[in-house]
Amino acid sequence: MSDQNPNPSGQVPGFPAGTPGANPPVIPPIGQMTPTGNSPTLGVSPAERAPISGVVGAIEAILRQPRRVMFCLKEPNPGGLITALLAIAITCSLVYGIIVGTFSGAEQLWAAPVKIAVGLMISTLICLPSLYIFSCLGGSQARLVEVFGLVAGLLALMTVLLIGFAPVAWVFSQSTKSVFAMGILHLAFWLVATIFGLRFLLAGFTHFNAKSFAGVQVWVVVFLLVAMQMTTALRPIVGRANSFLPAASDKKFFVNHWMDCIDAETNNVRQSAEAR
Amino acid sequence: MEFEPLTQGFRHIGAVLRGEPKPVDDCVRRWSVGTTVLYVALTVLGTAVYGAAMGWWRSPLQACFTAIKFPLIILLTTLGNGLLNGMLAPLLGINLSFRQSLQAILMSFMISGAILGSVSPVIFYLVWNAPQMTAHATGVYAFIQLTQVVVVAFAGVVANLRLEQLLQRVSGSATISRRVLYAWLAGNLFLGSQLSWILRPFIGSPEMRVEFLRKTAFDGNFYETVFRALRHLFSP
Repeated sequence: MSDQNPNPSGQVPGFPAGTPGANPPVIPPIGQMTPTGNSPTLGVSPAERAPISGVVGAIEAILRQPRRVMFCLKEPNPGGLITALLAIAITCSLVYGIIVGTFSGAEQLWAAPVKIAVGLMISTLICLPSLYIFSCLGGSQARLVEVFGLVAGLLALMTVLLIGFAPVAWVFSQSTKSVFAMGILHLAFWLVATIFGLRFLLAGFTHFNAKSFAGVQVWVVVFLLVAMQMTTALRPIVGRANSFLPAASDKKFFVNHWMDCIDAETNNVRQSAEAR
Repeated sequence: MEFEPLTQGFRHIGAVLRGEPKPVDDCVRRWSVGTTVLYVALTVLGTAVYGAAMGWWRSPLQACFTAIKFPLIILLTTLGNGLLNGMLAPLLGINLSFRQSLQAILMSFMISGAILGSVSPVIFYLVWNAPQMTAHATGVYAFIQLTQVVVVAFAGVVANLRLEQLLQRVSGSATISRRVLYAWLAGNLFLGSQLSWILRPFIGSPEMRVEFLRKTAFDGNFYETVFRALRHLFSP
């Protein structure tokens, strides 16, 4: 029994065994996990040991059976699964990027998806070496390929959830002209999706005998900062500009950029009020 | 087959980072050239890459200079204090030979080198995103300087925690292990800060030329400068 699944058999009442929804994913609560304490060993259930094939299988597994993904990553040759997860992440981020681009239209219809997909991959590559080292410092037995697999799972889950938010984002982008408002909305969606992705990552590390999560938690903060800075480095993603990327002389940290946007929005609102 | 030593080395580094007692204790008790070379190589690689990230903001040439100087400080400190550290350990209660003391200290520097090397892409990224270094960008300069200090301090603290765990297992006493660690730290910090003073600059300054060593590198020392600064602060 766990907080998320009060039914000890793991089966949801009203759902016959074997049907989708019969066995919801069990994700142990974060911060209370121990290597062998609260969550059972991976692969105990036969369902967890079933191999994952194809991109659709990987999407199903990452959403409904995250423990199955973690088990497959621990098996020899997880390359196929990791490739599928990365393909999901890239494709979903491109699709979500198109939705982001519909706000401004024109060149943003291709520029936004490219920037989002490339930015996400570069942010991950920048942070990957430190994740491996910090996880080792925390006692994790995960090999580099397994760490890479967990990160691929994080990206896949994050971007699949962003696709879930895509219709909402599109509706808002068609009903407002404020770049600032749309920027905040997309950031909020990204943050929610990232939280779920990071839950998967942290849950994964519990099955690699991590004794301490302090290092990985520091890494989470670094990853979030790097990703948020990437949105500023690759601007504009929501609005439009004369160039694909900002000039070298226009480099700034994301906090400065956000303060500038808030100032600009405040001035816009004031001018609109005065015009009326 | 030819990758086996490499794989074993990689696994050993993972074991050291995780703080697994047996592999760490074995490599210090049974000194080997291969392990020493591995530790030195990883220390040099990690600190060189981090040094390059530190210096990149000023210019690519400063990055090259700092990539050479940062590992040099670590190696010169280790070698310069090698005899002293080897003598302090048995004097303060841990029966380690000179080679074992050197191996233990190299292990801790390897850990900090690995941490710094792994964080260097993030530092490169931070520097790449920073506005160009100018005389007026004092706020950004302070921010980058502070970030470097925090990262290096973090790497140092973690490395010394692992060293303390090793010394405690070898000595069987927390008090003795801390005594030896503090003695080693005092010596290394004393020599290391002066070497850092001589080998400055690391980040560089927009108002000064990019050079490997300042012309005044051997004029005065770190502690004299701190003393003068304190005197100026309290009695201008």
